[in-house]
Amino acid sequence: MRDAYDAVIIGAGHNGLTLGAYLARSGLEVVVLERRHEEGGGLATEELTLPGFLHNVHANYHTFVDMAPPVKDLEVRTHGVTYIRPEVQMASVFDDETALVVYNDLDKTCESISRFSAEDADTFRRLYLEAHGYVDLLLGTLMYQPPMSVKELTKALASFGIEDRSEFLGVKLRRETINWFLDKHFTNPKVKAHLAFHAAICGYVNDLPGLAIGFPLLIGKIDNWHLCVGGSHRLAHGLWRDLARHGGVMISDAEVSSIAIDSGRAVGVTLSDGTQISARKLVASTVDVEQTFLEMLGETDIDADLRGKVKNDIRHQKWSLFSVHLALAELPAYKAASFEPDVDRAWVVNLGYGSPEELNVDFEAIRRGRLPGLAKPNAAVNSLYDPTDAPPGKYTGLLRQFAPYSLNGRGPAAWDEIGRWYASQCIQAWSNFAPNINEKSILDWVPYSPADIPSKIRNMVDGDWMMGEVSLDNMLDRRPLPELGQYRTPIKGLYLAGSTQHPHGFITFAPAYNALQVIAEDLNLDKWWNVI
Amino acid sequence: MPDIYTDEWYEAVKDAINESAGKLADLPEGSFIVAIEISADGLSPYVDTLTGLRRFVVKIERGTCSWYKEVFSKDEEYDMAPGGVNYRFIGPARAFDEIAGGLLDPVDAALKGVIRVRGDMRFLMRHAENVKVLLEAYTRLVQTNWPLGKPPYLDKTPNEVANA
Amino acid sequence: MSDPDATGNLPESYDAIVIGAGHNGLCLAAYLCRAGLSTLVVERRHEEGGGVNTEEPVRAGFRHNMHAQYMEFFDIMPMMSDFELGDLGLRAVKPDAQAGIVFPDDRPPIVLHRSELIEKTKKSIARYSKTDAQIYAELKKRADAMESVIAAGIYNPPSPELVEGQGSVLEAVFGDLGISANFMLKSPRVVIDELFESPELRTLLYRISVEWGAPVDESGLGAMFLSFVMWTIGNWKLCLGGTHSLAKAMTQACYRQGVDLLENALVERILVDGKRAVGVGLRGGREIRARQVVASNADLKQTLLEMVGPENLSERWVRRAKAYRYGPSHVLGTFAFCLREPPDYLAAQIDEDINKCFYTVVGFEGPDDMLRYIRDAYSGRLPKPAAGTWINTLWDQSQAPKGEHSAGGWYFFPPSSSLSNQEWAEIRLSFNDSFLTEWHKVAPNMTNDNVIAKRLYTPDQMEHKNLMREGDFSNGEFSLDQLGANRPFPEASNYRTEIDGLYLCGPSAAPGGGVHSACGYNAFKAIAQDLGLESPIVGSRGY
Repeated sequence: MRDAYDAVIIGAGHNGLTLGAYLARSGLEVVVLERRHEEGGGLATEELTLPGFLHNVHANYHTFVDMAPPVKDLEVRTHGVTYIRPEVQMASVFDDETALVVYNDLDKTCESISRFSAEDADTFRRLYLEAHGYVDLLLGTLMYQPPMSVKELTKALASFGIEDRSEFLGVKLRRETINWFLDKHFTNPKVKAHLAFHAAICGYVNDLPGLAIGFPLLIGKIDNWHLCVGGSHRLAHGLWRDLARHGGVMISDAEVSSIAIDSGRAVGVTLSDGTQISARKLVASTVDVEQTFLEMLGETDIDADLRGKVKNDIRHQKWSLFSVHLALAELPAYKAASFEPDVDRAWVVNLGYGSPEELNVDFEAIRRGRLPGLAKPNAAVNSLYDPTDAPPGKYTGLLRQFAPYSLNGRGPAAWDEIGRWYASQCIQAWSNFAPNINEKSILDWVPYSPADIPSKIRNMVDGDWMMGEVSLDNMLDRRPLPELGQYRTPIKGLYLAGSTQHPHGFITFAPAYNALQVIAEDLNLDKWWNVI
Repeated sequence: MPDIYTDEWYEAVKDAINESAGKLADLPEGSFIVAIEISADGLSPYVDTLTGLRRFVVKIERGTCSWYKEVFSKDEEYDMAPGGVNYRFIGPARAFDEIAGGLLDPVDAALKGVIRVRGDMRFLMRHAENVKVLLEAYTRLVQTNWPLGKPPYLDKTPNEVANA
Repeated sequence: MSDPDATGNLPESYDAIVIGAGHNGLCLAAYLCRAGLSTLVVERRHEEGGGVNTEEPVRAGFRHNMHAQYMEFFDIMPMMSDFELGDLGLRAVKPDAQAGIVFPDDRPPIVLHRSELIEKTKKSIARYSKTDAQIYAELKKRADAMESVIAAGIYNPPSPELVEGQGSVLEAVFGDLGISANFMLKSPRVVIDELFESPELRTLLYRISVEWGAPVDESGLGAMFLSFVMWTIGNWKLCLGGTHSLAKAMTQACYRQGVDLLENALVERILVDGKRAVGVGLRGGREIRARQVVASNADLKQTLLEMVGPENLSERWVRRAKAYRYGPSHVLGTFAFCLREPPDYLAAQIDEDINKCFYTVVGFEGPDDMLRYIRDAYSGRLPKPAAGTWINTLWDQSQAPKGEHSAGGWYFFPPSSSLSNQEWAEIRLSFNDSFLTEWHKVAPNMTNDNVIAKRLYTPDQMEHKNLMREGDFSNGEFSLDQLGANRPFPEASNYRTEIDGLYLCGPSAAPGGGVHSACGYNAFKAIAQDLGLESPIVGSRGY
């Protein structure tokens, strides 16, 4: 690699690559440095079980691909990236062998809901349509712009008289839980369970006060789940190609050990092998705040107060995910298919949460470091819609269970001992609903525990795949800390552009896109992408 | 009383906005150019279903309207705003007609996605009070004449509107 | 619904289509695109690189090279400078101690160092035989001096004259050591036995000879041992970050040129119109046209018998393709161990360099034992648990979590089809344990407690993962009738085929398997000649 670039970006996850590609297209000489041997961060697809079975190790659901400006600006779809929006998006199967199904078609979804409650189906339709009305506004206000404060937002919503105009939005949502929202508007516990489950998969837990404010937006995109054909890693390749095509460079196995500061300004980085790289214009970090401030910066580079806050006040999700990756010879055939045949075509299936209370109890246990009483994983079979992710006639499966990172006060190491056992519990839970998932149809499986998450992707501290808690105190301009909420840092030329920033983790492209706006202002770049 | 979407009407809108500007607290700095794209919907007789689109460009400077013009192509819009526009409002003609006629609340229209707004939304949110005053000027303060018929059009079929 | 084969957004046609994004395919694509041809690479897997492949197959954070491990061609590879792969992130180190062997008793180890440290090598060999040390040093010096000849041999299309001239070259270079032209008729084993007296050194050299492409019992490959194999010892580099870093840098070079790369797409057919290749047909039905070139990096049988189809070939070509042989000369099982600490050999008390050696052979008593092992594998039998091993984290901590280690190694195994799926599955469950028992005998800290997790990757799996038939690392047996101007068969040895516009650019063509990208580079030369493109030869390099 060369010894100087205009922009040095730390981390080649989707945010690092996105920012790099924009800057390269703006004429800057860009290097994106990645600690791992692969680019993509959470966009990792690996053959964890048998050859030919492609497992998305982290990101599986891409819900912002048709909304995020970078997808158009960086011409992602010309780089060999294709998305499918599965017809049967998601389902819940319940203990009584009924099933609720969400389609990519509102009428069909409402029809499925109405089998549980006609009233809830009507409510869902109104909520969905209302949310669709303001989805653009919310995305423009809340996602693809540097964040406003909750106070500013509340004031604006009040000024515009939102309370009187909307059935579902309201200023008070900022104090309420998703459970409250569901209880206020819906009646059937199974319908509520499914909606709460969907929110949890998006990182929004149903019993945390304040998260109700994000709920209408979640409903607005409940049927917008996209599958990246050939594995999520394809997107990483697409972004990388755009970067390289415009003169930027991604370098893997380049672990940044420190950021060089000269007179209060970031001027480069040093790699763990001692290589020094100068940054003529900027350094942007997309990794976790702790690494950036406590490891890459020296003690005297930032004031003690901020350092203390980074040490003590960064908030992480208090729950993580336990995964089982499977190679299958058969597609699951659910018992509930006699009630609802389409459940066999659902991309993702919630196995057994029948009410929000059941989720509450499990999340409560998880927050205390315990396993949920019974494994109730969700099952995704990407091969239903993407046959290229498994050998012909075979299928790739993924079970995900909400779980604690640190187990029973014994830390993440306890997962080493129980990982395989717990994976078998999860498989059994699947088998209970789909009996053909058994020793004969499972060709191979491997557990991927919360402890494995930060071992692979260091940024996901304590198994936190959102790279920072999703909670009201850690949202918008307060994420990850009020002092760091606008992508700039106290050090000139050093920016934060990863999922630690507003809005949060997930494949949103938003942290990078928003950091770009700030960088463009500071460097006086022509905002060629900003076509209104 | 000027006819809708005529030069006189634009002048009247401009004056109405500027009169209201006096009421604005902490006027935002700088100038903004807003593009408005009104598309034919088969209901409003003011947008030709063949040409399909009417475009307006408005310049707001420190809360007052410098000019308000109709343009007839994207190129012409570019001539008026070589640096690009700051906002773009896009929607069907019926919605714009009804807003101008004071029948449809513009905030509702935006909230329901009937009119889509592009541009820095934070600025609009931060200046919500000012935005309200300007919208009020547009929707309530101009006396408009409707030579081809008046919204709402809901009780008429598109053909009836066109033939009116 | 979107197009499920991920091709929906790519152009309908290209000037050139390269099948397979292994290093040869990427190399060819980069040169084609630089020469102005719009180029598409179609790859069956989700990752580029083919055998240049690093994964975390056992545990998060522990990287393992699944196929290619030792990089001996970096200093002579044209793409390295032509596309500034260093600027694109490729970095490598050359460990001091290159190859070693330990024995399950108190015999001293042998450690062969890189050329600059020949005195250390001599000292190590001299523990067994001063004469051998002297002869080894002399052979090594001459083999090193042949580098430019070796490079020219690799990066030029093979010519029969070259083989004919080999005897006199051999005599000119090695004549004063008593090596005459007739040595080229001998097998490596016979050459090694004739030159060296120490059984221990011979044991190590047998293994190295097989591993680097000269099967010990193959008559006529003695010259290859003396020149090529001896040259490689001391040139082995470790790709920082894992071998896959090379694929990354090559891919990045392709991207920069504007190459399109379509992964996860299986080419089922090469479209033939008359006697001309005009495109490819993908699984799922999509066809992409090629205006000038289709080049296949896939193996010979797949290319000719499956993609082109016998109906488009002459009877002779069909027969030739059918007769092409895979294995048993280079069929390997790759193991991956995650370790708390690297092996600490008993033999390190005699020579501590063995603890930091790049390729350490473990589990053999002596030459007969090694030969039995090799012959077992060649005959379709499971050999004893013994291996050539490496601990890449000794030079590159990035390949494991801080303070921990990734260990890899190769077992010689019989070709995939020699055993049933069930037998391979059982081997995957038990063979590593048997080897660990042997490892423990020579390195007492290699206990179960030291092993965090382990996994074995068998030839049948390689076949599935990379379509390396029979698990043959070289994609075609290394024997005289399938080497040089005879690879894959004489009529096809100049990268061209009897289908106009269809070229071979993979290891089924000369010089064969190995991370040199020469099959791609030489195929480009042939294509450049046919299409009137500028030659890639750079004057100072001469090839």
